[in-house]
Amino acid sequence: MNKFRTALAATLLGATAMAAPAQADVKIGLLGGVSGPIAAMAPAMIDSARLAVQQVNDNGGILDGEKLVAVIGDSACNPQNGTDAATKAVNIENVVGIVGPHCSGSVLAAANSVTIPAGVTIISPSGTSPEISGLNDNDTVFRTVPSDDFQGRALARTLLLRDTAKVAVAYLNNDYGKGLAESFRDEFEGNGGEIAGFAAHEGEKASYRSNLAELASGGADTLVIFDYGDGSGLTMLRQALENGFFTNFVGGDGMKSDAPIKELGAENLTTFLSSAPVGEKSDSLEMFGKAFAEIGGDPAAIFATTSYDAAFMLALAIEKAGGDKAKVSASLREISNGEGEPIRAGEWAKAKELIAAGTAIDYKGAAGDHNFDDKGDVPGTYALFKVSGDNFEVVTEIQ
Amino acid sequence: MGALEIINFYLVPGIVIGSIYALGAVGITLVFSILRYAHLAHGDLATLGAFLALGAVTLGGVSPYVALPVAMVLTAAAAVMIDKAFYAYLRERPKIVTVMASLGVALMVRAIVQVVWGVDSETYTRGIVRPDVWFGIRLRDRELITIFAMIGLVLALHVFLQQSKWGKAMRAMSDNPDLALLSGVDNKKVVMLTWIIVGGLCAAAGVFLGLNYELKAMMGWTMLLPMFAAAILGGVGRVEGAVLGGLIVGIAEEMSTLFLPTEYKAATAFAILLLMLLVRPTGLLKGKVL
Repeated sequence: MNKFRTALAATLLGATAMAAPAQADVKIGLLGGVSGPIAAMAPAMIDSARLAVQQVNDNGGILDGEKLVAVIGDSACNPQNGTDAATKAVNIENVVGIVGPHCSGSVLAAANSVTIPAGVTIISPSGTSPEISGLNDNDTVFRTVPSDDFQGRALARTLLLRDTAKVAVAYLNNDYGKGLAESFRDEFEGNGGEIAGFAAHEGEKASYRSNLAELASGGADTLVIFDYGDGSGLTMLRQALENGFFTNFVGGDGMKSDAPIKELGAENLTTFLSSAPVGEKSDSLEMFGKAFAEIGGDPAAIFATTSYDAAFMLALAIEKAGGDKAKVSASLREISNGEGEPIRAGEWAKAKELIAAGTAIDYKGAAGDHNFDDKGDVPGTYALFKVSGDNFEVVTEIQ
Repeated sequence: MGALEIINFYLVPGIVIGSIYALGAVGITLVFSILRYAHLAHGDLATLGAFLALGAVTLGGVSPYVALPVAMVLTAAAAVMIDKAFYAYLRERPKIVTVMASLGVALMVRAIVQVVWGVDSETYTRGIVRPDVWFGIRLRDRELITIFAMIGLVLALHVFLQQSKWGKAMRAMSDNPDLALLSGVDNKKVVMLTWIIVGGLCAAAGVFLGLNYELKAMMGWTMLLPMFAAAILGGVGRVEGAVLGGLIVGIAEEMSTLFLPTEYKAATAFAILLLMLLVRPTGLLKGKVL
């Protein structure tokens, strides 16, 4: 019995030694909406970020051959969980930088209350609210996805070009929905369109029929939904279709989720269009696509490219900064400012050599060139998608 | 706006969601009056019931209506086990301890649902159902079934409480547990019976919510506040009050969009709850004040 106990104790001790990372590891936080309304999108985003981490470790590691470790946290797409996850990453895990959080509300809360005071650099791959540009962040908040200000305006112009001049707008009452809806309204009305209904709704309610009836009473036959396709956006879409409130539906990037196709059926979604950011065709995008497909990922999944780029750029910045937390944000600008030797997705070994030699590098990512403006934002390209088979298919590029 | 439009898009959805709230509120009111605490895991127990029915639908290939009794039995068993594992131990402590424990149970139940079924939205059947039109009123079969099932279940419960020996024992314990014990009522059995009924009703609320809308891991939790508002509005301990309260809360939520900006819809139940506690804490039908 005693022997057994000793053996058990030894095993347990051994296990803790294995579980604790070696001192030399460099940790980054990977905060995502693992649970909550974008839970259906989060896995591809997290997998693509981990692909970047894996490529770093497979090609010589970070700094002096150390291992880059991604610590995953659940920001649950809301401000409270975003703050909790960021606090844990910054104070307990002592991360050098953070990829994420995923949703705008989480980004704003985590940045304001945790990462800006701690001086930790964060790169959100999907926090798209225009509010994020305005953060007083000492240059520590970046994103690899364009602000919704671009998307809302581009979508408004595209709808007007397609002769849709009268719409009703339903948006989720959070930072994401509100930001997108307001940019959309501004541009749509500014260019002669008519908004025949404009209303926020709370997420996760069971019935939106009265909301939809209110919106439909304005007489528009097109409903623009700025919500999440796996959350209340799905419920709204279903109830609008079932009751015939509207005939045409247009969604923002949040609505481009598999959930509506899976739950409502593609045959019912023939009049559903959705805008989403797309990567411009580039070698880098192809290289990412190939690598991601090899590990079983879908390169076309929404925000997969931006998540990958965010993680890869954070790794480059850490390498450039020599692991110094305070220098990460300045280094992030240096590795992708349009000047220097181009580095494409996955070219870690090459980048590492150049950084060691002191040569300037310029990351050309899968989602774009990512030359940050002074607010840490990137410009974007969008496309309008329609449902085709069990997938989304590009209808037209939008500017 | 015509009368038909008000009926179709405000009243009918209000009655359907109100019926679902009512099923939940009846359970809450029973726990409130017999066990004397607010059971915060009620919503997540409903989620569990809805997903158990989904399990029966996907594994057994049966219709959700066949899965309903299966889910009710399984959820009742789960409720009894939760009581034995967590609440029984705390029964002699101050009630607030049990209330907090039930919050913990709520998180655990939800986590189990998320681990087993994932966090995506699910439905019992794929596709959309357009309503049938009866003299201008748009109704779906599932909406009628929801309303009639609610009425049927509540009537059965009412007869049980009024007529049967065990129903009377439950009412006796609700009035005065010590006196009931002295009169030979087995408190433990009554507690178990309460959980069986509450679990079954929870599952019914969850299944009907999933049937009319979608199944989500958070579906029950977001229903908790309206269900509590309904139970208190009707009067704690009053089954018929809970039904009335549920319908009023459901209809008020949908109708509120006529007068208020739509983002305040979710706050309607909360406003009703506050107002009732201030003006008439016994509820519409003179319930208990705890």
